[in-house]
Amino acid sequence: MAFEVPKVSYTGKIREIPLGREGSTVTVGGESCYSFHLFEGEMPYTPKIAMEVYDSEPEDWSDTALEPFADVIKDPVAWARKCIDTYGAEMIALQLASTDPNDKDISADEAAKITKKVADAVEVPLIVWGCANVEKDTEVLKAVCEVCEGKNLIIGPVVEGNYRAIGAAAIAYKHTVVASTPIDINLAKQLNILLGNLNVPDEKIIIDPSTGALGYGLEYCYSVMERIRMAALVQEDERLQFPIISNLAKEVWKTKEVKVTEAEAPLLGDLGKRGILMEALTAQCVLLAGANILVMRHPEAISLVKQSIKDLMTGK
Amino acid sequence: MSKIICSAAIRGARNIVGMAEAKYEEALKKWGPDQKIEFPNTTYYLPIIYGMLGIPVSTLGDVKQVMDKCNELVPAAVSDNVWLPYLAPALEAGMATFFAEEIIEAIRYLEEPDFYTKGEDPLPDNIWLGTADDIILRKRGVEFVDGTAPGFAAILGAAPSNEIAVKIALELQEKNLYVFMCADHEGKTMSEQLIEAGVQIGWPTRLVSFGPSYTAAVFAMGFATRAAMSFGGVQPGDFARNLRYNKDRIFAFAMPLGTVTDEWYANAAGAINWGFPTIADTPIPEILPTGVCTYEHVVSNVPHDKIVARAVEVRGLKVSVTKIDIPMSYGPAFEGERIRKDDLYFECGGGRTLGVELTVSKDMSEVEDGKVEMVGPDLDQVKEGDKLPFAMLIEVAGRQMQSDFEPILERQIHHLVNYVQGIMHIGQRSIMWIRVGKAAVEKGFLLKHLGKVMHAKYHQDFGNIVDKVQVKIYTDEEKVKEVLEQAKRVYKQRDARVEGMTDETEETYYSCTLCQSFAPSHVCVITPERAGMCGAYNWLDCKASFEINPTGPNQPIIKGECTAPVLGQWKGITDFVYKASRQKVEQVSAYSLMNSPMTACGCFECVATILPMCNGIMVVNRDFMGMTPCGMKFTTLAGMVGGGNQTPGFLGVSKYYICSKKFLVAEGGLKRVAWLPKMLKEELAERMKPICEEMGIPNFADMIADETVGTTEEEILPFLEEKGHPALTMDPLM
Repeated sequence: MAFEVPKVSYTGKIREIPLGREGSTVTVGGESCYSFHLFEGEMPYTPKIAMEVYDSEPEDWSDTALEPFADVIKDPVAWARKCIDTYGAEMIALQLASTDPNDKDISADEAAKITKKVADAVEVPLIVWGCANVEKDTEVLKAVCEVCEGKNLIIGPVVEGNYRAIGAAAIAYKHTVVASTPIDINLAKQLNILLGNLNVPDEKIIIDPSTGALGYGLEYCYSVMERIRMAALVQEDERLQFPIISNLAKEVWKTKEVKVTEAEAPLLGDLGKRGILMEALTAQCVLLAGANILVMRHPEAISLVKQSIKDLMTGK
Repeated sequence: MSKIICSAAIRGARNIVGMAEAKYEEALKKWGPDQKIEFPNTTYYLPIIYGMLGIPVSTLGDVKQVMDKCNELVPAAVSDNVWLPYLAPALEAGMATFFAEEIIEAIRYLEEPDFYTKGEDPLPDNIWLGTADDIILRKRGVEFVDGTAPGFAAILGAAPSNEIAVKIALELQEKNLYVFMCADHEGKTMSEQLIEAGVQIGWPTRLVSFGPSYTAAVFAMGFATRAAMSFGGVQPGDFARNLRYNKDRIFAFAMPLGTVTDEWYANAAGAINWGFPTIADTPIPEILPTGVCTYEHVVSNVPHDKIVARAVEVRGLKVSVTKIDIPMSYGPAFEGERIRKDDLYFECGGGRTLGVELTVSKDMSEVEDGKVEMVGPDLDQVKEGDKLPFAMLIEVAGRQMQSDFEPILERQIHHLVNYVQGIMHIGQRSIMWIRVGKAAVEKGFLLKHLGKVMHAKYHQDFGNIVDKVQVKIYTDEEKVKEVLEQAKRVYKQRDARVEGMTDETEETYYSCTLCQSFAPSHVCVITPERAGMCGAYNWLDCKASFEINPTGPNQPIIKGECTAPVLGQWKGITDFVYKASRQKVEQVSAYSLMNSPMTACGCFECVATILPMCNGIMVVNRDFMGMTPCGMKFTTLAGMVGGGNQTPGFLGVSKYYICSKKFLVAEGGLKRVAWLPKMLKEELAERMKPICEEMGIPNFADMIADETVGTTEEEILPFLEEKGHPALTMDPLM
């Protein structure tokens, strides 16, 4: 008798979510099997990579990360254009880091203005990420929703403490939300239920179950993502059948390992390659766990992951 | 429904529809059927008509079919000598009223384009804003969805004086409600009263002057109708969903101030369709039974100083308390603080003085929210080192409150009081003990502040079940004794209730899937006689937890038909567990160790397993570090039991369950227990006594071996034989 590959029988399917504005949408999700298990099901849309843009000049970046963007680092619009024109970014992720009350604490209006400028300048889907301070994000992301009406931004992180306020604004001005929860499948599911109760349409929800960098709790995050996918695909849990976003770049590039010099830590090897490889590996892991959108920083790391996605999709 | 109200509403509706008809005929003659009519800057046409009927009215010609619909809806006038059910006709009359009023207002926009300002703020020469355009709707509607504005008060008429008008407006603003104003009472309007009193009105202050006529009430209803379409994804014409959305989510009510005319009745009847009740200051008939609205429909003759509180209650609006007004910091960080002798300023309870704390539920009318009563000296009247008797009696009321939740609320006092910086709380009930540190007294802390803490936290944490909270704090000995007597009575009833509750008396059990994050296929089934294996959740806790957080991990399960009484299997439970475990667990027994035992997460208090040689069962608790007769320590056993797997012969249990009458019934119950760690046996001694007596073996506890007898089966078997342990002669376990 010939050998037969044992196959998982799937009962669920991830929702297809069109992102960005009408006419130039990018769709994610739709898979009916675990990531890249193309022998068991389909992945109609390849995972997408969003390139990071910061709302103001980053102060603590390593040279490796800074180098590709040195000429645009002060101007988010130019930065976003460069990501698209030079590096072929499929999406942009605008990090509103300077809204953080413990950082520059720029006002909601100012952040909304910057976002509007970037949104007007790019045609690809735009992710707008707050500073993860519940109160400040509420204020900022509401303002962002209002000024960018109709652009179908992807707004996050939306958490239990502010889902009503940001969810309501997203409904009113027609944006997609990122439901963000701290590495816990129950909380992830509950927030999706709550957003549903609020009447946020299901085709406007992306989930973020949290990501740690390689060596910084990645394995736990991986397990939770994997669990979410199991529940969604083989256990009929329809409140978890949403595409996953992984905002990983800022986790990787804040670790000690991407900054410490070779002189200080000779065992860690070439500083120039280290960050890139750590970012690429972190991305590769969450990709296998089930992520549909990766928020990444370094063009070389991105090109490594893109190649890997291509290989996996073509079965090479 | 009151016949008087219904006849008036139907009369009013007939007048209004007649008026609309006349206006329409006149306009049609003047402008022709192709003339455009609209509310400015909205994509929702005439929103109530569009939302309810799905008809996009954009020309005078389109009005015809709406007029036909109105005439179809409006019932004949009520005859004086026939009594019929009037609710449905009155509601339909109310609906027709709004359609007609929208037509009247739309024609007004056509004939007098400058009648309304069309902006957010009143102008110096025109205070009437008219309908909200889509920009205002979205901006303000967001607040309705996210809860920063829970709803609105639609006020018709005017208050008896400017001062009362201002007071009512202010109270409504404090509840974060929008105030939508229209209509006049004896030539006066609430909007004008506010302006005369120097109050700033307009959308930004949430005091919205829609229009001088009662027909402007449609701007309020139209706002609500559009909110459902814009934020609720409700399709035009889907009136049922639209109305339900409003009933469930928009906390609005009508507040007629002054003489209620037939036309006002018609508007009020219309609002009931949306689930918005009427709260009036005049002695009109009331409609108290619950039906379309969440609670009462028409409540009348409410004094002006109570009208806002009453309206909030009737509409079921929740109070939100954001700040705890005390001179100390507050939060979980202070929970573990100790107040030692050197820091001590004052103490009460704890065996040093009489001390008691009690939470009870009362009728809504008996509780005044936010009231804190203090009888006896407070901390500003005592010296360092003083001790006083103490009683805290918390009285709560809520539409969803049940007396079963009282002990759960009361149990929160411990950590909620401990969260206050500089205060230490120990114990509960009449063995409670509070210590107040010197630093707290220096900062001006008073015992009555505990009342504020409990009021705020009960609202914040238990808003779903609690609507009103008042607190009585006594240091007066007589008063304390009174509360203590009351408490003793209450505790007795509660204990009896818990003891009287059996798995047979309740039809609903609860699930707990709190631990699915690390044990994905684990589902706890919690019954009155089988508490959660973690010991943290009993059946009542789960019941309350579900009320408080309906999407949370504790869901009710209708147990259904009992398929195996001895094993503890029910159809409803089996189906639920199969689904919630994602098809992993096909059958589960509530009372068996050997046959489809319940899965475990990892947080069980104890593990039960079999001792084959002794034909018995042993139970070991988490705190016992030593070896046990099954050859494994607790930690090893825990590895066998946890992770959401069914392992016959191994089971996670709570300490409480060991002394339950339903403890492993399938294996013979407590009688099977051959070994317990000494510490556990001692802890359970009191609770085990009555069970042993019931079994007819009063000295059964002495027959159970412990580690002093032995930690292998060989060592304990002779002991069991010597004592004549019943397990030895029971049916074989395997």
